[in-house]
Amino acid sequence: MNTHDAPFEPDLRIVDADGALAETLSRTPMTRTGMLKAGAGVGAAAVALIAADRADAFATSDVSILNYALTLEYLQASFYTEAERVGALRGRAQHAARVLGAVERAHVAALQKALGAAAVARPRFDFQGTTEDGQKFLKTAVAFEDLAVAAYKGQAPLIKSDGLLAAAISIHSVEARHAAWMRHLFGIIPAASAFDRPESRARIVRVVASTHFIAARPKTTGKGAPHYTG
Amino acid sequence: MALVFGAALTTAVLAFGLVRRHHPFAEPTLPAPPKAGLDVPKPRVLTFTRAIAHWSTVLRPVNARAEPDESARVVTRLMQTTPEETTNLVIVLRTVVVAGTAWSNVRLPILPNNSTAWVPRASLGPTNVVDTHLVVDRAALRATLYRHGRAVFSAAVGIGTPRAPTPAGEFYIRDRLTSYHDPFYGPIAFGTSARSPVLTDWPAGGYVGIHGTDQPSLLPGRVSHGCIRMKNADILKLAKLLPIGTPLTIT
Repeated sequence: MNTHDAPFEPDLRIVDADGALAETLSRTPMTRTGMLKAGAGVGAAAVALIAADRADAFATSDVSILNYALTLEYLQASFYTEAERVGALRGRAQHAARVLGAVERAHVAALQKALGAAAVARPRFDFQGTTEDGQKFLKTAVAFEDLAVAAYKGQAPLIKSDGLLAAAISIHSVEARHAAWMRHLFGIIPAASAFDRPESRARIVRVVASTHFIAARPKTTGKGAPHYTG
Repeated sequence: MALVFGAALTTAVLAFGLVRRHHPFAEPTLPAPPKAGLDVPKPRVLTFTRAIAHWSTVLRPVNARAEPDESARVVTRLMQTTPEETTNLVIVLRTVVVAGTAWSNVRLPILPNNSTAWVPRASLGPTNVVDTHLVVDRAALRATLYRHGRAVFSAAVGIGTPRAPTPAGEFYIRDRLTSYHDPFYGPIAFGTSARSPVLTDWPAGGYVGIHGTDQPSLLPGRVSHGCIRMKNADILKLAKLLPIGTPLTIT
């Protein structure tokens, strides 16, 4: 076991064909301070309507943060679900994919429900075989979980709604448990540092964009005349 | 004495009060935590973990070889697009690592039918999974779609005449065509990886399609050039259930 404790930056050779994830992730929200300076005054309303399941119950900046979180949850849920569906993993990695996939899908469902029609679409991912190899899977899982932990931590102080902040902290601690679990399975110290560093959205975008995990959607439907044998 | 005792008692009470006021778990003024603003459902594991089949797109033109080896015989060259100008795709049967390179054994859309070969995994796009399997029974003249092994669709079909038979074997659904306004093919046509073994000079290679018809009275029967025809209402129903990449077995 080595002592590496910094977030991983996946260095997989993948083509980001349309940059959709980076584009989604980089939509910058207004900060809490910015909203107050702008006199938006919607924080109280957001708190009052926190139980509603529509995005218009939230401040604009909170909707942006929710979509940012949703995109990261899409990334994780798709990764673990693909790993489980492909069925190439064995042992503890296989078990982890099954457990984490269920949790990340629950996160996706919660965020989609909260955002309603304002939810961003799920990008199409290309994990370039990392779901088919145990070691590559674990390395990528560590990277994803570390990124999610840093991202939630980075956005928490910007959330206007107390209810959303409470939910974000609850998800954040779950992601931190995942990160520790994946680090342990990968053979690195789960919690070597005394202080976890939050990461800005710009930093997360750079890291994710460097992986190029977004794939172009295949064109499987045509509109030309058939030439089949008839 | 009473005064001293009284002073001591007062001091003790004050001290106890201070302790109480500063005990973190006895602090009465902290508000309850806010209710979480997201309704996170209970995690649910997948009911069906193993997919029926995996498919991937062809990212770049690549030689498909008889063995997972760069020096092995070239079986065919896979292109990125189909004759219908859709993205070419292959069913991936398995992947192995040879000398540090991952190779995928794929089902090929070529003659002879039922051919397979090896391509570098890196030449293929992301892994896609399907839970469906379409079976065409030429003797019974019936197509049945299974999902997780359970029949979810069945319809009478027309198949090739004895002179232009629908080939038997293992194939897959490669693409679908819509909005082409040709009544002969009905409202929707699916392209498959199967090819007519006799109509080799047919335009675009003589691929077998699954489509509707403007002559429903001929169904079921052995009436086509090899394609699998079904009534327009049936092909529309099937189109809602049949994902691209679905394995096709013709018996």
